[in-house]
Amino acid sequence: MYQSLLTRKYLTSKIMPLLAMAAVMLSVATILITWSIMGGFLNTLLSSGRVMIGDVAVVWPNVGFAHYDDLIEMLEDTEGIEAASPVIESFGMVKLPNDQVELMQVKGVDPASFSRVTSFEDTLWWHPIEKPTSKDRDGEDLRIIRVNDPETKDIDESANDYSAIFTEMEKNGKLMQRPNPITGAMEPAGLIGIELTGLNDRTGAGIYAPMNPIIPNASGGYESDSVFMPSNGSIGLTVLSLDSDGRPVDPVTRTIPVANEFQTGIYEVDSSLVLVRLDLLQKMLRMDQAERVVRTESTDPFAFERDPQTGELRPKMIESIGIDPARVTSVIVRGADGVDANDTREIVKQVYARFAHKHPGEVPSEHIIMLRTWEDTNRTMIEAVKKETGLVLFIFGIVSFTTVFLVLAIFWSMASEKTRDIGILRALGASTLGITWLWVRYGAVIGLVGSTLGTALGTIIVININGIHGWMGQTLGIVIWDPRVYYFVEIPREVEVSKALIVFVVGILTCILGALIPALHSARMDPVKALRFE
Amino acid sequence: MPSATTPVLDVRNVHKTYKLGRVKVPVLHGVDLTMDHGQWTAILGSSGSGKSTLLHLIGGLDRTTKSSNATTIVFDGRDVASMGKGALDRYRSSEVGFVFQFYHLLPELSVLENVTVGAMIRYGRLGYMSKRKETEDRAKDLLDRFGLSHRLRHRSKELSGGERQRVAIARALINEPRLLLADEPTGNLDRKTGDAILDVLAEFRAQHGLTMLMVTHDQHVAKRADRVIRLIDGRVQTDESQVQSPF
Repeated sequence: MYQSLLTRKYLTSKIMPLLAMAAVMLSVATILITWSIMGGFLNTLLSSGRVMIGDVAVVWPNVGFAHYDDLIEMLEDTEGIEAASPVIESFGMVKLPNDQVELMQVKGVDPASFSRVTSFEDTLWWHPIEKPTSKDRDGEDLRIIRVNDPETKDIDESANDYSAIFTEMEKNGKLMQRPNPITGAMEPAGLIGIELTGLNDRTGAGIYAPMNPIIPNASGGYESDSVFMPSNGSIGLTVLSLDSDGRPVDPVTRTIPVANEFQTGIYEVDSSLVLVRLDLLQKMLRMDQAERVVRTESTDPFAFERDPQTGELRPKMIESIGIDPARVTSVIVRGADGVDANDTREIVKQVYARFAHKHPGEVPSEHIIMLRTWEDTNRTMIEAVKKETGLVLFIFGIVSFTTVFLVLAIFWSMASEKTRDIGILRALGASTLGITWLWVRYGAVIGLVGSTLGTALGTIIVININGIHGWMGQTLGIVIWDPRVYYFVEIPREVEVSKALIVFVVGILTCILGALIPALHSARMDPVKALRFE
Repeated sequence: MPSATTPVLDVRNVHKTYKLGRVKVPVLHGVDLTMDHGQWTAILGSSGSGKSTLLHLIGGLDRTTKSSNATTIVFDGRDVASMGKGALDRYRSSEVGFVFQFYHLLPELSVLENVTVGAMIRYGRLGYMSKRKETEDRAKDLLDRFGLSHRLRHRSKELSGGERQRVAIARALINEPRLLLADEPTGNLDRKTGDAILDVLAEFRAQHGLTMLMVTHDQHVAKRADRVIRLIDGRVQTDESQVQSPF
């Protein structure tokens, strides 16, 4: 009883407990802000990283596997699987509009089924938008629909409104097609990452401003060309085709018109991935369905012939024309809502086993086929960000651990100042446990108040972090999260109740820990010495 | 239960030696003392004679130093010198009331809270809650009797020395102790105020039969006691009874 009375009196009559509360509040808020932003960053990165890859991929690299249509049908007929899509993953030399040639990752996709498995349509950059992005305060984004009257949405004819063009580009991007500039007929086109050509300047507003390519010539000068990739730009794609045994055959080059550009949120993807139509890439890589010569031994055991290359006798071979089915290197799968990636992989594994038994000798067996979840595919990136998050939290944790010593120092000072009070209380019959509880309780109350305020402060800051950051940029000129450097326009943030609760409890425990040593010291003090304390 | 003629306090062969670093400083050398119920005993002695130490040992605030002969501090049939920590805490909170020269009030608490804090310690949270009204009424009654009813919400720094000491006495009496130990209760007050404090104590003793052991080096104060013990260099030199006992 006397502990609660003295705790209340000590809290309201001294400046030191207020300082301790402020220290706890700031530490708790700091940790919560750091954790929430790093957590938000990780989750944003993870959701961006899975955009192009689905939940699970059935992978047989290089030569690929056949009868994938059958596999897709079997998968889509299975409960727990939402959709599946064939994909070819390869590499190719890409000639850019400025004549530079770079090695890029090339994916052949079927846009209709690819959009069912992935959210690639949402990543298409060039599409009309109604409102400017949060950082685009001047409305410089070309994609904004300019209207006179926001109610009626009448188009402002005087403004440069490109919404019709961008609507066409969005449609072309989704279908991976573009009109031929001469004939006007639609022809297969590709999609490239927004950072791939280097012709899109990312501004401080977090939007892209198209630039014309500068092409150096042999005489030491340069030429410029008027190119906007989704309108009239194209890339030259050279791939090395492989035969059915995986041996390189010959390089194949095609000019690929660009239908649109995508932004997944992962720089590595957006700067080095080219999407082309599956049928085109199958042809270029000789993975399409084709007739082929099939050689089998004669049924006549006495029929022999000479091998034209070695001249040796061999059983007579009979040649016939067979069909080599089209192949893909992977089938990507999207699990049904509520089914996580690992469960989806188990389902895919069972379906693939049935598929392999259905096509024995024609497709890889279920024992050697690779089944990867999106987390497996992005493991390197995920682990790196997780480790960074852990490291930052560890560092801030160490910094915040100083709060323990701060509280300890404050309590030690207060306990010393109150030494005579301890002597008086002991003379009145207070036990050592009672005196210990007095200080521990005092620490707990300071921790409770400090943690509550810190959690509230941290949550408010995290929720409004982008507004605060914008204000800092405008008022103080401090821009920490520059969209030109970071890939997300806004600071990713995420306030989880569980995280806030952990930080809150740790804040209180920190105070109790800091109060414990002075509490034990006070309680063990000789009451006579305490009474004589000056 | 001891009768009025049985010694309520029986102190035998009390030794106390303090250690100042490696140096041992003997303070008490085998003190013997008995007190009857309701007796007012004054201990006279110069500074360093061991009178406050003796008070602390009797009050269970300090432990005796072991000697070759058995040391006992028996209060009401129980040996305080051999009590465990918990028993000593209970002894201090229920049987003994302390009054100090420098009042030792808790500066953050009001006058009323300073008085009731002793009851809070004695009864614990639940016990105090059930006796709260009764205790506060008793505290107010004590403070009223000491002329402090208008000071209930004041803090100790707002009181005069005499008022503070009266608050300290009220705090010492709140749990209705049977033994009051006062360490130079008027040592920091002028003669007039000191006399007023002694009047309060004398009146309370007369009404409640309180046993009082008071340390002082003031002959004037000692004269008001029933009995005066002179302590010189840690030993009882003289033990004189005086005639003004109310019994």
